[in-house]
Amino acid sequence: MQKRLIVLLSLLVVLVMALSAYAAPAPAAETQAGGEEAAAPASAAAEEGEKILVVALGADPTSLDPESVMNNESGFVMSTIFDGLTKYNKGTSEPGPGLAESWEVSEDGTEYTFKLREGVKFHDGTDFNADAALAELDRVINPDNPYYVYNQEGVHSFATFTWGLVTGTEKIDDYTIKITLSEPHAPFLASIAMVWSGMMSPAAVEKYGFDVNYNPVGTGPFKFVEWVRNDHITLEANPDYWGGAPKVDKLIFRVVPESSVRLLKLEQGEVDILADVNPEDYTRIEENADLTLLRQPGLTVNGLTMPFEAEPFTDVRVRQALNYAVNKDEMNEFLYKNAAITAATGMPPILMGYPKDLEPYPYDPEKARELLAEAGYPDGFDFTLLCYENPRGYNPVGIKMAVAIQEYLAEVGVNLKLETLEWGAFLATRRSADNQDMGMVGWSGDNGDPDNFLYEMFSTDMIPVGNTSHYSNPELDDILITARTVTDPEERAKLYEQAATIIHDDAPWLFVNHTLQVRATRANVDGFALNPLQMFWYMEDVDLK
Amino acid sequence: MGNVSLTASSDRVNLAAEPLLRRPSTIKRLMRSPSAIIGLVIVVSLVLVAIFAPLIAPYDPIKQSFRIQLQPPSIGHPFGTDEFGRDILSRVLYGARWALFVGLLADSIALVLGVTLGLLAGYFGGKTDGVISLLTDVMLAFPYLLLAMIVVAVLGPGITNAMIAIGIVYIPQYTRLVRGTVMSIREKEFVEAARCIGLSPFRIIVRHTLPNCVAPIIVMATLAIGWAIVETAGLSFLGLGAQPPTPEWGAMLASGRNYMLSAWWIATFPGLAIVVVVVGFNILGDGLRDALDPYLSHR
Repeated sequence: MQKRLIVLLSLLVVLVMALSAYAAPAPAAETQAGGEEAAAPASAAAEEGEKILVVALGADPTSLDPESVMNNESGFVMSTIFDGLTKYNKGTSEPGPGLAESWEVSEDGTEYTFKLREGVKFHDGTDFNADAALAELDRVINPDNPYYVYNQEGVHSFATFTWGLVTGTEKIDDYTIKITLSEPHAPFLASIAMVWSGMMSPAAVEKYGFDVNYNPVGTGPFKFVEWVRNDHITLEANPDYWGGAPKVDKLIFRVVPESSVRLLKLEQGEVDILADVNPEDYTRIEENADLTLLRQPGLTVNGLTMPFEAEPFTDVRVRQALNYAVNKDEMNEFLYKNAAITAATGMPPILMGYPKDLEPYPYDPEKARELLAEAGYPDGFDFTLLCYENPRGYNPVGIKMAVAIQEYLAEVGVNLKLETLEWGAFLATRRSADNQDMGMVGWSGDNGDPDNFLYEMFSTDMIPVGNTSHYSNPELDDILITARTVTDPEERAKLYEQAATIIHDDAPWLFVNHTLQVRATRANVDGFALNPLQMFWYMEDVDLK
Repeated sequence: MGNVSLTASSDRVNLAAEPLLRRPSTIKRLMRSPSAIIGLVIVVSLVLVAIFAPLIAPYDPIKQSFRIQLQPPSIGHPFGTDEFGRDILSRVLYGARWALFVGLLADSIALVLGVTLGLLAGYFGGKTDGVISLLTDVMLAFPYLLLAMIVVAVLGPGITNAMIAIGIVYIPQYTRLVRGTVMSIREKEFVEAARCIGLSPFRIIVRHTLPNCVAPIIVMATLAIGWAIVETAGLSFLGLGAQPPTPEWGAMLASGRNYMLSAWWIATFPGLAIVVVVVGFNILGDGLRDALDPYLSHR
């Protein structure tokens, strides 16, 4: 009998092991590989006195060419490799000097003359000068360029957003260029400071063609060394950086999909900075003297899209009903652990032009049922919701947001079928022109301008990549386009107030919340500052004490 | 394997005239093994829980109430609550339905297709056997989970597709088993005799060869239910199977893993449920093997 018991117990143990092997190949491998590798550099560091800063990301970047990618993980890494002509001042979304030392804008607001910084070299040794800058611009505005960014399959680019109005570029002398726009464009200087406007070495484009996506060469504080897909990206310090040599020798971005594994790695000192923090862990981090939790109001918006051209969402009452049906305040309190405020429209309240008296849709399931009944759906309806799984900067709880909303909507008879796709497939599906599902959606501000939220996600021009709900309102389009050209800040603010109110009323999204930006570091990480745009700028100032 | 099956089938043929003598002894033999009884008890309990889940479960498994989120196990919530304030015990109990449903359906798909292919390959041999065996070998060359993920990638995520994927993945197991057995009896005198009196191949397969494969198929089917449950839970864990808010054990494990540090109970109880059920099917399968055919016993 005892023998049998032993056999049974060992069977149990084997099964548990087999199960964990089946069920969690990725995290198990991750922990092991991470443990070994992290141990290796640590001992190497002790020998050579190298300072290695490790940042944990929740997902792998998709590409590292600033002009042909638009997702946060790629941006996080690229913000340490590249500079733009302008650069946000530390901790703000105000554009200041970058690769351009100074600039002049013509009276009519259409001609920008940039004086470029002298003596700057790309990581491959190429000089940064007027020729290099113009070669890079050619790649984003000239469809005849062999490496025109849009000539790639499935590319998602800010090129049109940033450079779309450029009608001419001109070299004045070796370190002066002139860019001409077809019309005045208020957010231009802010837009060209974005990580997506980083200057790539023309020699690298020549050498790698579209493969610069995986061989980035910039002028920034860190040089690209290697990228092991879904594991890590290694960068080394650029001692000649024009903004000052970095204080650490190496910067490693490590991909750790499991938030609990990320936290453990931070606690054990295997990583130094977490790019995303699971709200459940805020308290645990704050209570640990070895760790620091950083917070700042975020330039984010988070919600669900409702397909504008698909029944029943063609009826504004249905779209509003869904907004009334979800208890967003409760979600913010319990799911987001108070690190979020309820959203009323498609832009965060800290931006200029936010209408001050605009209130979010209150939680009112009765009203939701009434509106659904008026629209002809007294018993609700069924619909598919496309979901991503992992936390994002604008949505630190990932798919749990969708699960919570699913339950609220079920109360008013709207039954969502959740369909989870991995991040790449999710983006490709949601940004395709023929997709008619609801989708999780969110945005982290790129240039600190309301244009970057409202025009990007709600104008007809941006269907289907930016505007994934395919929402189209000609009146709103007029306002958004006018607001791009008006240079008077007060007048612009008024236009955005109107636009934000129209978007609130039309409700093309189920607006959920604006999350705070939260990051965690080891306490010995010195000089690390959050900025409203979430990117890892000024990493040259970060040191390990 | 061939030799053993040979003995097994002749044994079966010889005793065919005295079924009354044989049947009680099978059950008796099963009952003599304590591990098999434990397995049987677990499996019967699973079936009962699956059927009566709505009656036994204290709460609605998908009803969220944030105000009681992440509560540790207590009298009110013996397994605690998850991040949505859902009762874990209720979710685990409802999860039994999915486990059983998934196990049975995936297993049935594999069994029907696998046995059919195995009978054809074993009986006809030659080119038929060549093609089927080649396909089987190709499928066996892939790791199960990888193959299942490929199938899900083609069909799209969801619990039904996950079941189909797992079913397809296990087809070769049955095919191999049945093919071997059939080949060993294909040349036997009673099959020859059937052929001589002009019975159609279909009739010979169904009436004369299939019955001789029943014992190993039963054993295999029992074991495979357990495997199918684990594999489907694995797919759900990876986000390819059950979609939220389905109370499926693999999916519960997956969403609970982010809370391993702060709320261990979310992932622990569904994990235990999977272990217990799979162990149950495995030891019942082993017991059945011993009981159905003493000559197959490894003891």
